[in-house]
Amino acid sequence: MGIKQLSIFVANEKGTLADVTRIFREHEIDIRAISVYDTVDYGILRTVVSEPEKAVEALAKEGIVSKLSDILTINPEDKRGSLNDIFTLLGDNDINIDYIYSFLVREDGSQLFVLKVNDKEKAQELLEKNGVEIIREL
Amino acid sequence: MQENDIWSECETYDREQFRKVQSERLVDTVKRVYEKVPHYKNKFDQHGVSVEDIKSVDDLSKLPFTEKKDFRDNYPFGLFAVPQKQIVRFHASSGTTGKPTVVGYTKNDMTMWSEMIARIVTMAGVTDEDVAQISFGYGLFTGAFGLHQGLEHIGAAVIPMSSGNTEKQIMIMKDFHTTALISTPSYALHMAEIAREMGVDPKKDLFLKWGLFGGEGSTEAMRREINGAWGLLATENYGMSELIGPGVSGECLALKGMHINEDHFIPEIINPDTGEVLPEGAVGELVITTISKEALPIIRYRTSDITSLNYDKCDCGRTTVRMAKISGRSNDMLILGGVNVFPAQIEEVLFNVDGIGPHYQIKVFKQGYLDRIEVDVELIDANYLDSFGKLENLNQTIKHKLRTVLGIDAKVNLMQPRTLQRFEGKAKRVIDMREDK
Ligand SMILES: [Zn+2]
Repeated sequence: MGIKQLSIFVANEKGTLADVTRIFREHEIDIRAISVYDTVDYGILRTVVSEPEKAVEALAKEGIVSKLSDILTINPEDKRGSLNDIFTLLGDNDINIDYIYSFLVREDGSQLFVLKVNDKEKAQELLEKNGVEIIREL
Repeated sequence: MQENDIWSECETYDREQFRKVQSERLVDTVKRVYEKVPHYKNKFDQHGVSVEDIKSVDDLSKLPFTEKKDFRDNYPFGLFAVPQKQIVRFHASSGTTGKPTVVGYTKNDMTMWSEMIARIVTMAGVTDEDVAQISFGYGLFTGAFGLHQGLEHIGAAVIPMSSGNTEKQIMIMKDFHTTALISTPSYALHMAEIAREMGVDPKKDLFLKWGLFGGEGSTEAMRREINGAWGLLATENYGMSELIGPGVSGECLALKGMHINEDHFIPEIINPDTGEVLPEGAVGELVITTISKEALPIIRYRTSDITSLNYDKCDCGRTTVRMAKISGRSNDMLILGGVNVFPAQIEEVLFNVDGIGPHYQIKVFKQGYLDRIEVDVELIDANYLDSFGKLENLNQTIKHKLRTVLGIDAKVNLMQPRTLQRFEGKAKRVIDMREDK
């Protein structure tokens, strides 16, 4: 078990993002986190939503390509330098971070981070051993 | 190759028999057009060739060419060789600009046309057991009616669906147990896509065995795509309204070129720049002379289609000459930064790349003095979304293949599926926005 992220192909055309959010709204899917790179022609939208499987299906019906993947979600301690500790720890253990984005949980105000790393299991084990909270469910 | 019947004994004539029938019919046709069609009389006179000069098929190259322009100049009926009273059917080509090309048929022409189509559908596997769905547009276009008559002639059950209303096409296919699909190859691909969206698995839920495609050229890669999507055996057939419509040639199940109905059409291959007739096997522009048509006989028509001829006996037992798949049209060749490219070549490259769909569009712009080419393709495989690097790699792979195979530098645009235009008839894949080409 873990949190699933949805990767959605977005072409740089007017309204593509709005298409995605409209489909989510129509299917009563809530967006928890969203991130999109600064791209010229096309890019990948990463998002964490309330019902990921349902989201993939709804998108596919409208011809939008998307993929589900397991990602590492952490809740670092709210203190100066905690991210630096985490990145250093991962770096020292040869774990590369492909991308990272953060989101706020409204209910308790905590700031969570989504990490895409080259070895998720190893990173998770390492972080847990060092006292970083891993979020497995939203 | 699967066994199937040969419709007519004319398809197995030896070369001497073809020569004899072609010579007789050519001499007769030349006489008729000289007497009945002022355009040909003037043209032959200007060209310094008389009817007596044409004694056999060997004299064919003495005659002047006929071009698309001649149809326009003689609009609508100027090239007809019979009075209107004898015409029983009109068709016209879908000219994108100006007046359409008008063609007419006598009663005999209609009978012969059905006969030619009967041969072509038979060599493509269809028999009187089959249910044939015609998804060409009915109307002035020759495709639908041409196939329709020939299929009825062999006793197949015809569904005159016409093009469009794709969901209904799929429903009828399923409910009527359609076994043969007749359409343009691009529409066949689009229909397969819609079928899957409707939750219909063409291989499990439908009964298709044969696909007879025409109206536009296609590549081997496109054939694989269609065969894979539908679980049928796709063949291609060739024709054009100026010559008769479909029925000029078609592929047999050996899939090694399209058999030309040689007792009705004499093919030649010429150098499109000089008009010189090229030797057997050479690649060039196809020129066709009709030798049995009454209403609209055509002498040495320049088709603009680039192909080659093969006179060897085919594995299927037929001896009629085979023309290779059209590799391009002499007038749709793109000259991109000094490199000659046919859209079909770009298509071949794109079809061999994994991860993208079968639809594409080529756009050409002028940027300063340079030609800028953009190729739009649809990303269909979600596995490329793991990382932006994977997407970039896919893009680079396509660019690289276009460069190494064709020598062109193109910008590749990955698009969302179903954003590129779909076609129910002939696909228009190239948008050339340069001012003077
Ligand atoms: Zn054959």
